[in-house]
Amino acid sequence: MEELDILKKAWQKDTHSFEQVTEVEIYKMLHRKSSSIVKWILVISLLEFSLWALVNFAFNTEDTIKSLHAESFEIYLKIITYVNYAVVLWFIYNFYRNYARISTTTSTKQLMQDIIRTRKTVQHYVWYNLFMIFISTLLGFAMAFIYNPNMDTLRYQIEHEDGYKTLSITICMVVATIAVFVGLFWLFYRIIYGTLLRKLNANYKELKKIDL
Amino acid sequence: MSDELEKSFVKQLKENQNIIHKICRLYTNGEDAHNDLFQEITIQLWKAFPKFRGESKFSTWAYRVALNTAITLYRKSTRTVSTVTYEGQKHFLSQEDYNHEEEEQIKLMYQAVQQLNDIEKALVFLYLEDKDYTEISETLGISEVNARVKMNRIKGKLKKILNP
Repeated sequence: MEELDILKKAWQKDTHSFEQVTEVEIYKMLHRKSSSIVKWILVISLLEFSLWALVNFAFNTEDTIKSLHAESFEIYLKIITYVNYAVVLWFIYNFYRNYARISTTTSTKQLMQDIIRTRKTVQHYVWYNLFMIFISTLLGFAMAFIYNPNMDTLRYQIEHEDGYKTLSITICMVVATIAVFVGLFWLFYRIIYGTLLRKLNANYKELKKIDL
Repeated sequence: MSDELEKSFVKQLKENQNIIHKICRLYTNGEDAHNDLFQEITIQLWKAFPKFRGESKFSTWAYRVALNTAITLYRKSTRTVSTVTYEGQKHFLSQEDYNHEEEEQIKLMYQAVQQLNDIEKALVFLYLEDKDYTEISETLGISEVNARVKMNRIKGKLKKILNP
C-alpha cells in the first residue's frame, strides 16, 4: 500500500520533533505516586468521617440520654459533637489542600516540603482523634456512673462499705477499658494511615537522593 | 528498589523516549493527554523493569509494555479519535520539505490511521517502526500468520477510509 509506505518514510525521519524529557523529569514521574498516596489519605479521611456521622445518626444518643435522665449531659455531648465535626472538616479541608498542592508541584524541593506538611497534618489528625476518643469514652463512663440505675449498687458500695477498695477497682477497670479502646483505635490508625505515611516516607527518601 | 536499577532505567528510558512519544501521539489527542499517557507508560515500564533482564533490547521490551499500557490501561473516554488530530500532523509537516502532493497524502493517511481501533493502531505502529512480522507477532503476542492476516485487513480498512 503506497500511502502507508509514504507515511512510514515520514514516520521514520521524524525523530526530533518531540520535546525531550530530561532524566530529572523521568525521576519525578517515578515519584509522582506521592500525589496518589495523598489522594488516598483524603479519600480515607472522608470515608471515616462519613462512617462516624452515620454511626452517630444510627445510635440515637438523645434517647439514651432521656432514658437515663441525664439531660444535663446533653448540652455537653452536643457541643462536643459539633466541635468535633468542625475540627474534622477542617482537617479534611487541609488534606484536600495538601493533595491539591502536591499534585501541581513541579519542583522536587517543593514536593519534599509538601510531603513533610502532609505527614504533619496526618499525625495531628490521628492524635486529635485519639484524644477525642479518650474524652468521649471518659464522658460515657461518667454518665453511666452517675445516672445509670444499674450502677446504684456500685455507688452504694463506694459510699458506705469498703469504699476505698471498690473505688480503686472501679477506676482501674475504667482506665483499662479506656486504654484498650484507645489502643484499638491507635492500631487502626497505625495500620491505615501508617501504611500510607510509610509509603510517603519512602518516596521522600528517594526524592532526597535525586534532589540536585 | 536499588539506586543502580533506577539509574539504569532512567538512562535507557531517556535514550528510547521517542518510541513512547510516538505511541502517545498515535493514541492521544493533544498535549495533555500525550503527557498523561507518557507518564502512565513510564510508570508501567518502571514497575515491569525488574523483570526485564536484558534478554531482548530495551526498545523491543519497551514496545511491548508501552503498547499494552496504551491499549489496556489508557481507555479514557476523553480520548476518542473521531475528531481530526492536528497535533500529530504538525510534527510531520513542519520540519520536512515534502512536495505538496506527498504532504497531502501523509496527512490523509495519518488521519486514517487515527481512526483505527487500539489494536490495529498497535500493528500499524510496529509496521511504521519497520518491524518485521516475527517481531510484530512477538511484541503483540499473536502468531506470525495472524499478524500478517491482520495487517492485510488493516490495509484494506485504510484503503476504504481513504477512498470511501
